[in-house]
Amino acid sequence: MRLGKQGRHGMGLFIVLLIGALAPLSSAQAQASAPPEDWVSKLAGLDTAPDLELAALRQQALERVKSRADGVPLQRPPVATQLLKLPRLAVEIKFDEDSSVVRPESYRTLGRIADTLYNPALLPYKFLIVGHTVATGRRESNLTLSQKRADAIRGALVTTFKISPKRLQGIGLGEEQLLDAAHPTAPINQQVEVATVGKAP
Amino acid sequence: MSPIRPILSIVLITAWSSASAETMKFEDAAGILGAGCAKEIDTNCRGVSLDPARLKDCLLRNQDSLSPQCRTDYVRAFDAIQKRVAARSAVAKICERDAVKLCGGIPKEGGQALECILTATRGVSARCNQAIGEAGYR
Repeated sequence: MRLGKQGRHGMGLFIVLLIGALAPLSSAQAQASAPPEDWVSKLAGLDTAPDLELAALRQQALERVKSRADGVPLQRPPVATQLLKLPRLAVEIKFDEDSSVVRPESYRTLGRIADTLYNPALLPYKFLIVGHTVATGRRESNLTLSQKRADAIRGALVTTFKISPKRLQGIGLGEEQLLDAAHPTAPINQQVEVATVGKAP
Repeated sequence: MSPIRPILSIVLITAWSSASAETMKFEDAAGILGAGCAKEIDTNCRGVSLDPARLKDCLLRNQDSLSPQCRTDYVRAFDAIQKRVAARSAVAKICERDAVKLCGGIPKEGGQALECILTATRGVSARCNQAIGEAGYR
């Protein structure tokens, strides 16, 4: 088919417009879905795998709550200091109130955690999901709720995004390891942490 | 004929094929579901966690009360997640020979061989390269 001069111009304009339409779309997509390199770098760099006994840690937290030790949140030391040395990332995830069900507005964040854990640099590692709560309400309920929330995130990563269950564990520390100890009721204390804990089995 | 047309066509085709080759990031797929169906999940599926079986079933059961946006988005999102999962598990099989040849191992998730294949600059087969691209490992 022969195109007249006008037709050629028309075609050229169409292609230019098409490129113009595609270019901002792809750069916007690239920005919105850029690899979360900062998350990857926060979780990278585990030197030596810590000797973590999760069952013992859970017991330790539960005993502290039951004995009512360290009653004042402002002066409460972290219950699991060994976690503080690990490469870790704190993430805001919204849950239904008093529930372990993740709110739809946080699905994107769950997906981003999955993308991060699938990053080739992190594929050889396993991770601990750590649930926390603010220091309001009953300490024991908070401990239970945070464990359920850590388990729920692990569950979503395994069932939805098919991350190997062998690479993920979950622990809830309630209000026993405040992320902002100076402000025990600040929302930042409900953030969920992901910590690198060793080589994947 | 103006020489610009074939060049532009090649640019377009290349841009299109590279854009369509990689499966969607989990972040984007999950974001589509969370944004497109937030109201519907709250109304009809409260208490149901993000789960490819239970949440999808719940939305399907309530199909009639979903907004057109949500009806499209949830199918698209779960489909995109499933495609990326499939693309990732396909890498191990498709790149097996490459991994044995170049890295001395099988590129399973968490394995060193996948990292090795991903960093190899030469000798990776076209099929393996394509599988890696679709899985979004690069």
